[in-house]
Amino acid sequence: MQITLMQGILIMLVVFICAFDKPTEAFMWFRPLVVAFFTGLCLGDVRLGLSAGAVTELSYLGLLTVGGTAPPDPLFAGLMTTVLAYTTGQDVSAAMGLAIPFALIGQWIHIAANTLFAGFLPAVDKAARRGDEKAIGRILFTSQFIYAGAFALAAFLSVYALQDGIAAFVNSFPERLIHGFEVAGGLMPAVGLALLLKVMLKGENVPYLLIGFVLMIITNCQNILPIAILAGAAAWIIYTGDVRRKAEAAVSKKAEEDYSDGI
Amino acid sequence: MASDNKITKKDLNKMALMSLFEQACFSFERMQAVGFAWGMSGCFRRIFGDNNEEMAKALQNNLDFINTEPHMAAILQGLIVSMEESGQDRELIHSMKTGLFGPLAGLGDAVWWYTAMPIVAAISCSLAGQGSVLGPIIYIVFWAVTGILSRRWFIRMGYSAGLSAVKYIGDNAAELTKAAGILGVMVVGGLIPSYVTFRFPETLVAVGNVSIQGIFDSILPNILPLGFVFALYWLFKKKNVNTMKLIIAVIAFSVILSWLGIL
Repeated sequence: MQITLMQGILIMLVVFICAFDKPTEAFMWFRPLVVAFFTGLCLGDVRLGLSAGAVTELSYLGLLTVGGTAPPDPLFAGLMTTVLAYTTGQDVSAAMGLAIPFALIGQWIHIAANTLFAGFLPAVDKAARRGDEKAIGRILFTSQFIYAGAFALAAFLSVYALQDGIAAFVNSFPERLIHGFEVAGGLMPAVGLALLLKVMLKGENVPYLLIGFVLMIITNCQNILPIAILAGAAAWIIYTGDVRRKAEAAVSKKAEEDYSDGI
Repeated sequence: MASDNKITKKDLNKMALMSLFEQACFSFERMQAVGFAWGMSGCFRRIFGDNNEEMAKALQNNLDFINTEPHMAAILQGLIVSMEESGQDRELIHSMKTGLFGPLAGLGDAVWWYTAMPIVAAISCSLAGQGSVLGPIIYIVFWAVTGILSRRWFIRMGYSAGLSAVKYIGDNAAELTKAAGILGVMVVGGLIPSYVTFRFPETLVAVGNVSIQGIFDSILPNILPLGFVFALYWLFKKKNVNTMKLIIAVIAFSVILSWLGIL
């Protein structure tokens, strides 16, 4: 389906607001679930926005900004998955695979902005030397508007201005290739989860991963909260035990020292 | 708390809102420096009044490299403001900040990004996947409420409990992070069967007309998603494969196998 100029402008505004939240990561409006939901509202197809958001959010779960490295952009992923599913009529899983080049555009904007803002630092230092916190505030909000503005502009171009070319390109794909992207959409959450595990998983944690996995397949309840509660209980037991052991070890070490002093 | 404190509860709550911009103007050079310093500037002004010289020193003391978790930064901001108010040595403040932002980042990442995020995303996405607008609404409300309340609470904690309390977190950071890791990996274990789809088509049969997927299911349901996540984990962890390359490899893998009719 076509995207009208009105829809394009609405989406541009939505992206501006969501991208304003992105550098700060304060309200998580840049996450695919939220972006896709608002995009669906703009397009008049809330159901599509919800399903696109659900699929994309989970795939980009582990793709977090760790230690200054920028991952493919979750905002553009949520946006373009919804938009491509709408304009090309493809399944949301396939649309998510097709949206990856746009997630890269978002990533580049992010990197460019973080490089540009290093150029703002001399002005910040100068304001600090005067004790002028208001000037620092102005620089800070200028950077916010530049960041959000760049995202909004790129979104408008991708969503509205270039839509016919993109749709024609995608529709020239053979059926089998599209099915491949659908399969990829189903596998993508594994990338996010594997990235999470890269940071979190330690040898001592592997049993808990397996417990969580088996609990889900034997209960087949498709709801993560019961497992999260059990996981919280396990974490609590381990934490209190560790802290108690540490305290006891400190006490016995002290006692040993006292004893050795006695000899 | 002494009664001659200049900082009021209102100032601290205002600082919590300013702390939402802790990561604004992020640059690769000094990362969160600008937002971190600006967040405290309201309280600094309250302490120093018209004394721009002291104001300048306090601001400059906080404008060098810092990279921590945005929620957790509020603890440090509260602590620094209380130390500035009681007129403590700026070198002490500076070394305290430099020593604590790393452990707080590790703890904050484990709690907010690797634990809260997967749980909230899983619940919200399962609702959104069923077509309910409650999915994104729960997601938005959760992050807005915890984003504001946690900052108010952390700032008050850093401000009134002082160095000893923050030290307690620093001292127990290893145990807390381990417990958060257990919680996180168990949830990820539960997410694997529900969100990673890796199934061979029923039409794909081995010798004797047995469905290949049936064979895997009789070994252990969802063994393929589990194996796939571990394969990706191994590539990330041991082979240090770049995220983007892995995403492209997953797409290529899906397209090729589905082209051959295997997936």
